[in-house]
This record gives sequence, C-alpha cells and structure tokens, in this order.
Amino acid sequence: MESGTIVRWLKSEGEQVAKGEPLYELDTDKVTQEVEAEASGVLLKIAIPEGEVEVGRTIAFIGKEGETVAVEAPAPKAEAPVSDTEPVSDTVQEPQHVSQPTTNGRIKASPLARRLARERGIDLASLRGTGPEGRIVAEDVQRTQEVPARVAAPAAASQSQPLSNIRKTIARRLTEAWTVPAFMLTVSADMTRANELVARRRELEPDVRVTVTDLLTRVCAQALVRHPGMNVQYTEDALVSFPTANVGIAVAAPQGLVVPVVHSAEQLSLSQIAQVRGDLVGRARDAKLRADDLEGGTFTISNLGMFDVDQFVAVLNPPQASILAVGATRDQVVPLDGDLHVLPMMTMTLTCDHRAVDGATGAEFLKTIKTFLEDPGLAL
Amino acid sequence: MLDECHRTNHKLRAVAKVETKTSLAKGDLRDVLREMLLIRRFEEKVEERFRAGELPGFLHVAIGQEASAVGVCRALEDGDIIASTHRAHGHTLAKGTHPNELMAELYGKAEGCSHGYGGSMHLYDVERGNMGANAVIGGGLPHITGAALAFQMRGEPRVALAFFGDGATNIGTFHESLNLAQLWKVPAVFVLEDNKWAESTPESQHSPIRDLSDRAKAFGMKALKADGQDVEAVYKTARQALDHARSGKGPVFVHLDCVRLHGHYIGDPQVYRDKDEARKLAETRDPITLLRGKLELSDEEFEELDVEVTEIVEASVEFAKAGTDPAPEDALKNIYA
Amino acid sequence: MPELSYREAVRDALATAMRQDDGVFIMGEDIAEMGGSMGVTSGMLEEFGRERVRNTPISEMALAGTAIGAALQGMRPVAEIMYEDFMTLAAEQVVNQAAKLRYMSGGQLTVPVVFRTQGGAGWSPGAQHAQQLEAWFVHIPGLKVVFASTPEDVRGLLWSAIYDDNPVVFFEHRTLYGIKGNVPEKIEPIPIGKARIHREGEDVTVIATGRLVHESLAAAEEAEKQGVSVEVVDPRTLQPLDEETLVASVKKTNRAVVAHEAVTRMGFGAEVASVLQYQAFDWLDAPVERVGAKFSPLPFAPVMEQFVVPHADDVLQAILRTVGRGN
Repeated sequence: MESGTIVRWLKSEGEQVAKGEPLYELDTDKVTQEVEAEASGVLLKIAIPEGEVEVGRTIAFIGKEGETVAVEAPAPKAEAPVSDTEPVSDTVQEPQHVSQPTTNGRIKASPLARRLARERGIDLASLRGTGPEGRIVAEDVQRTQEVPARVAAPAAASQSQPLSNIRKTIARRLTEAWTVPAFMLTVSADMTRANELVARRRELEPDVRVTVTDLLTRVCAQALVRHPGMNVQYTEDALVSFPTANVGIAVAAPQGLVVPVVHSAEQLSLSQIAQVRGDLVGRARDAKLRADDLEGGTFTISNLGMFDVDQFVAVLNPPQASILAVGATRDQVVPLDGDLHVLPMMTMTLTCDHRAVDGATGAEFLKTIKTFLEDPGLAL
Repeated sequence: MLDECHRTNHKLRAVAKVETKTSLAKGDLRDVLREMLLIRRFEEKVEERFRAGELPGFLHVAIGQEASAVGVCRALEDGDIIASTHRAHGHTLAKGTHPNELMAELYGKAEGCSHGYGGSMHLYDVERGNMGANAVIGGGLPHITGAALAFQMRGEPRVALAFFGDGATNIGTFHESLNLAQLWKVPAVFVLEDNKWAESTPESQHSPIRDLSDRAKAFGMKALKADGQDVEAVYKTARQALDHARSGKGPVFVHLDCVRLHGHYIGDPQVYRDKDEARKLAETRDPITLLRGKLELSDEEFEELDVEVTEIVEASVEFAKAGTDPAPEDALKNIYA
Repeated sequence: MPELSYREAVRDALATAMRQDDGVFIMGEDIAEMGGSMGVTSGMLEEFGRERVRNTPISEMALAGTAIGAALQGMRPVAEIMYEDFMTLAAEQVVNQAAKLRYMSGGQLTVPVVFRTQGGAGWSPGAQHAQQLEAWFVHIPGLKVVFASTPEDVRGLLWSAIYDDNPVVFFEHRTLYGIKGNVPEKIEPIPIGKARIHREGEDVTVIATGRLVHESLAAAEEAEKQGVSVEVVDPRTLQPLDEETLVASVKKTNRAVVAHEAVTRMGFGAEVASVLQYQAFDWLDAPVERVGAKFSPLPFAPVMEQFVVPHADDVLQAILRTVGRGN
C-alpha cells in the first residue's frame, strides 16, 4: 500500500488521547479501519483533516498540553515537529491487525497464550491482544476458542461519498475480471435433504443458526478438496494450486461488496463454519473486518437466494478461478421416475476462469456439489 | 584398611603416651624425635610431590615447627580437642591422624582424612579430636572458646586448644575469642606459635608490641612462655596450661617462640627474608637437631629412625596414589546433615 | 487455641526447648536482664539462669563462633544477633565456618546452631538498624534460612530450626513482634522447607515474606474488591525453598508477584522469579512482578523511609499490572 484515505478523525484538536485509543478512520484499498494512537498526550494539531495521504506523511501531532506546533498542513514527512518534547507525530500506517503488536516480526504473547494457541492449533497472528501493550494473553486465546473466528478488531463505518477506496477497488477488480475468458455452467439441485439437515441443525443448536450458505460453504470446500484442479489460480507464469479451501462469501456490506474468507473451511464442522460465517458477516456489516479476513480466498460463493433471485451469473473475483452464484430455492414440479414431484429446487451457476479450468473439470466439480447438496451426508 | 592404619598408628603412639607425667622421660623423647622426624620427612615429601606437580591446591608446610605440634599434642588427654591453622600437617599427624590418611587427603582421595572435601588447609579428624585446620586466620579460635564452653556447661574434664600464629593476634576473632573465654573462664588453651612472620610480613611490621603475650594479659588471661623449638619445654608448658584450664581456673595463653625454616607456602621464594638469617636459624634452631643432640644419638641410631619414618612416608604416598578419586557428583554430598 | 504475640511465640519455642533439653541454650547481647533489645527473652534469665541465658560482650564474631564451637561439641545453641545489620560482623563465622564445616570435614561434623536475628523498617532507625539481608545468606550452600511471618509459624519453625542438625539463619521481623495470632496448645514443629498458602485465589499468586505477607494479604483484600482473586503464599523457609508449592500455585493462577521488604535488585525475589519463569514458563500469562525496597540505603526521615520500603499499595499495583490493569 502506498496511500490511504483519512475518512474522519475520532478526536478533535486539543482533546486528550491515550495510547491505543482509536484516533482516526482510515480507508485503504482493502478495508476501512480505525487506527489507534501511538502515543498519549494532547492531540495538538491535525495536519491532514481528511483525504488521501501517502504512507509516512505526518498527519497529526500529539504532545503536551500547551505546546505549540508550528507546522503548515500538510507537513512534509521529514520535517520534525517543532516541539521540545518527545512524542509527536502519528503517521499513516499500513492497515494491519492494529492490535497485534510485534517486535521484529515476533508477536507479543504471554508464554501461556503461546502454549494454549499451540495446543489448540490457533495462529497467534489471528488474535487481538488485550494485555498490557497489546500482549496476547491466555484470555484472548480462550475467547477465540469459543468463537472459532478471526477475532474482531475495531474499525469503523466508511463514508460513501465521494468514491471510497473500496468502491474503487471493486471497480478496478471487476473490470479486470471482465477481461478474463470465462465460461458458465448451471445446474439445479434438489434441496429436500439439505433443507432437512439445516432445519435439524437449527433444532439441535439453536444458538448457532446454521444456514444454507453454511452448508454450501462446507459442500464447496469438500468439493474443492476432491477436485484440486478447481482450487487454483492462473498467473502469468504458473498455475498455482492450493492445499486448502479458503472459501470467500460475498457480503453486501453498507460500504459495498466485501468477500470475507472462511479459511480452511474443509477442516471446519458445519457449526464451526456457521460461527465463523456469522462472525465475518456480522463484522462485514459493521465494517469491522480486518485485512486478513479478506485475504487468501481460493473460491467464492455469492448467494442472492435471500433476495428471491432465481438464478444469476457472477463475475469472477480475481485472482480466484471460480465463483458460484446461488439463487433462491423454489418449489418446482420435477418429473422423476415417471412421476411428477414437487421438489425444492435451487439453481446455481458456476463461473470459471477458462485460462485455469477446463469445461469438463468445472462440470465434474459442479456435479459433485449437486450430489453433496442432494445427499449432504456425503459432505459432512 | 584405614582401621588397620589407625591401629598401627595408635600402637606407635601408645608406647610413649604417659598421661600423668609433667615432663617427658628420656625413653619417651626417642619416640618424640621419631614423630618429629616423621612430620619433617612427611612435609619434605609433600614439598617434593607438590613441586613434581602431583598435588593440587595451596600448601603450607611447618618445617621447623615440629616441636610445637608434637610437644603440645603429647600433653593432651584423650577427649581434648584441637583447632589448627592453614599450616596444619604437623598438628594433624601429631594429633594422631595416620600419614596415609593425611597424604590421601592431599592427593584429593576419598580415603583422605576429609574424604577429599578439605585439602591441606581443611584437615579434620573428629574421631581423634582434631576439629580441623582453618584457612581463615583466627577462624577456629571462637570454635575453641565455644567447645570449651560446651565442656564447661556439661561439667566434662576436657580442654579445647587452639593453635595459631603471630599474624592471627591482629585479627578480631583473636581478641573476641580470648576476651569471651576469659570472661567465662572456659577450659581453653590458646597456643601462639610465634614464628615472627605473617606470611611475608615480619612481626615488626604487623604488631606495635614486641611481646605478644601482653595481648592475652590485657584480658587478664594467664600467659606462659616457652621455647617452641625445645620439645621438652613445649610439653612441660602445655601440660601446665592444660592442667590449669582443666582444673576450672580459666583459659591459658601459651606463647611459643618458634622458627619457620621454609617459606609461607610451598614455592615461596621468600624475597622478603634475609637468606643468611634463615640459614643461621636452620643451623642453630632446628628442633630435630636440637633434640638429637640432647639424646646424643649416634649417626647409626638416627639413620635407623630416619629409615623407619621415611618408609612410613613413602608408604603413605603409595597409599594415596592408589586411593580412590571421589566421583565428581560426590561434590554435592555433605552439604547438609 | 491460645493466642500469642509473635514475640511470645519466639520465646515459647526457646523456653520449651530449654525445658526439655539441657543442650539448648541462648546467648546474645543484652538478652539476660534486659530480655533482649526486642524483649524476646524477657524473663528467661529468671527461669533458666545465667549459665543458659548468656549475655555476651558486643562481639558478634565471638558470639557466632562460640555458638558454632559449642554446636560442634553437641550443644544446640541459639545465638541472638541483635540486628540483621550486625550479621555482617558475624558473617565470616556464619558463611566461612558454620556453613562449610560439615562439608570441609567430608561429613564428619554437624553444626546444629541457630542464628536468630531481626530487622525491618518502619520505625526510622536509619541505614544501619533495619536492613533485610536474607539474600546474603540464601546464597550460601550449607545454610538453611527461615523467615517466619506469624506467631504460629515463628514458633513451629524456630522449634524445627533448633532441632535441625544444620546451621539455620532465622530471620524475624521487627514490626511483627507485636502481632498476635492463635497457636496450637502444644508446639507443633513446622517442617523447614514447606511454604504456607495464606489465602487461596484464582488470578494472581503473591509470594511474600516477612512483613510483606501481611501487606500482601491487605492488598489481596483490596484486589478482591476490584474483582481480582489473589492467592498469597509465604515460603517461610527461603533455603531450602519449597519450589513445588510456589510453582503449583503459579501454574494455577498463571500470574505471580514476588514481594519482600529487602531491596528488590538482586533480592531473594529474583531467585523466586527465576524459579517460576523456568518451571512455569508455559503457564505464565504475564511477566513476574517484583515488589521490594528501592535501591537505596534506608533513610532516616519517616517520609523518605516510607517511600523507600514497599507497602500494601505497591503489592496491589503489581497485582493489577499482572492482570493488565495497572500502570
């Protein structure tokens, strides 16, 4: 990232600021987030009230009460703030997991937190530390265990006007996608048993609230593992294939389309997926996703069934090689074994990057998805 | 094996041990000479083996002071105890430790009198009433006051006796221990082996008074003096002091005028000392030569004694070399009771 | 159960041992008619006589060394060194002699002597009458070191110290002599080397000695009000150290504060912190906090003394830091 856009300041000039307190909202090409203050003191001067600013530029001064800062805004980065006290400048930072303090790349975590994370197979990098100086403590690991999700970090609602960086990114990427040679395959699946399964799971675990999207995520993840030729990306010099199915779910967030990723979905149970998905979608709607929530996807599901869409074609989400567009489930008259049946049918369209995937590969993959949906036991 | 050594040694000693005598008979003196010669040959052997690189550590010999060790220890009763100094080989042998055990200790062997934990400056033989050499000047003096206190409190007719040098009369424990001993009238004897040297520092440089007995007298303590090179005089004076202490009349200070014929430690070039003076002392004040003259021993008779003790010393080296090295991890034993 | 003051508890252990055992006697400066500068041995001269309640000259080397000598001959002397500060005068005998005689003699000697001493700030004696020097002695192989904080503990531990065949340096705290507590009817020996859990808790373990045990208990009460559950453990014996109990407690709470009145730097707490980090590393959820005196001689002026030595609030702040709430 070379630049970001300051959306708004959460503190006013003259206000007391504590180190770690959210200071301003920053919009980048990946995510909108709150950025925490790096020092405590009085917010003496906001050098850049809003708008795009390059990385490294001094955007504000934090110092002691009564100190004066004689700097024209926007001040060049190299210019030291005129002040005889130490902490002063805050700079635009690469939007990363803000609450994950690292020293030379090492994550700050207590020995106990490290051991718990090790034992439970949790990546410390995915955690937010709430201990002193942002240290990850045992409680942070335990909390994650309860909601096996990429844990929440504070961020903020983005502005919709003028063009946000996210909107620009969407535009740029979809335009790019449109240039990719793609083909589409459509199939309908009998959702009788899938619906029964979802209903049953809700009965068993009313707190978790499993949805058809969760089942689809599970099914697609299993199918991707079974058809590794689908779990790939085309690059200029190589076809990259992935050992794990990171399934993105397209979410209509207030600030625009976002695709948070359920990482290694093939390793998660249906209810775990439901919890992760619930957390991600919730945070997507609250604009609280972090950069790493959005990274690493190898496949995307876009479900517009809840909007009563029968069927549609999704545009690829580059650099991923395929995306599944899912419509609403409707009762349809289906001729079966010489008889007419009324069955809940769902129509799905798979869009594939033809540079990476052949038609037959895509068709086999889609057939597996259909089979799994019609007999979900096979995918669980 | 050690038990056997002890028995032999005791037999050797028992011949001459006549408890009630206030002075040594001529027959005893021959045995006294043999014991002093044994100590001398032992110390010379220690010097030789140290120079040959066989002995580790920091060693101090008492060549020239054999009369003090033997004369005093001969005067002790069974049950009396001693505390020694860093210059302890002579005291240890005189108090009855077998040369084999002492040599084994100097070689760092498990058969040594301190089982390899002590070394030359920490020789113990509790069974024989040797409460130990002490490498801190004056370190053992309060132990003697305390041991004597224990004897006094329990009404035991025993005496605790400390050896120390003139250098020690300047250290705090000397004054504190003598003061307390006299205050409480405990049965202790403090034997000053005044060889006129505190390591390399002559007495004129370490003490403002010429008669160190005055220090004991300042506490009101009975003080006796004797020629430390004359074993008969040493014995007689020690006997007198022990009797006094044992009778409950309080501690006694015994001031022995001694001669250190060699350096402070083995290898000491003695740059601080007049070579002529040392040579002259060796000619005129060697306690072995003096006793031999008194006994009018012929060369043959002396040679006979010398061969006998030299054999014992040689045997001790053989014994020590054949001894057992402690296991390194034995270092972690004996720290707590 | 009878109630005794800490002072009376010390006296009770001494007197009871002396009644049953002729080998036990006490010696020290001003311990006879005056009853000791802290009044611990008050009345003992009348009961046991001058032979066994021995006033000594102001002569710590001889006091310590004579006690060692008597112990070597089978007595069980208890030497009172009036102030911990004066242990430095006795140090040669305690460190070079008592601690090492058994070892140097290859196991021939035993030295069943107790050096009772006391120290502690809070009454403005200045720099030479209130130091806490336990760290000097826990560093010496061959010595056992005890520091009791309650009447019950001081009585049971002093009893064990008297009957231990090793030299024991027995620390008492000046400001604790007046505190009262219930003790068993009959003296129950408390084994040397066994810690005491004064208060159970879930979130933080405070390992404290001497006066700081009481300060830590007060801090624990306050922390409780703030929702932090504190376990308070007193090792009671500093050498040998009951590592097992300390480590088990910290493995339970995942956080530790080590508190003593002595200067923090190079203090006894440093060793405890090291034991904890090594044996409970994977259980620690926060750095081990240390509470102790600032790196300063003890000042005279009460306000300065108060500033230098630690109090309950210092322990509380350390507790809160371990749960990420301190400053």
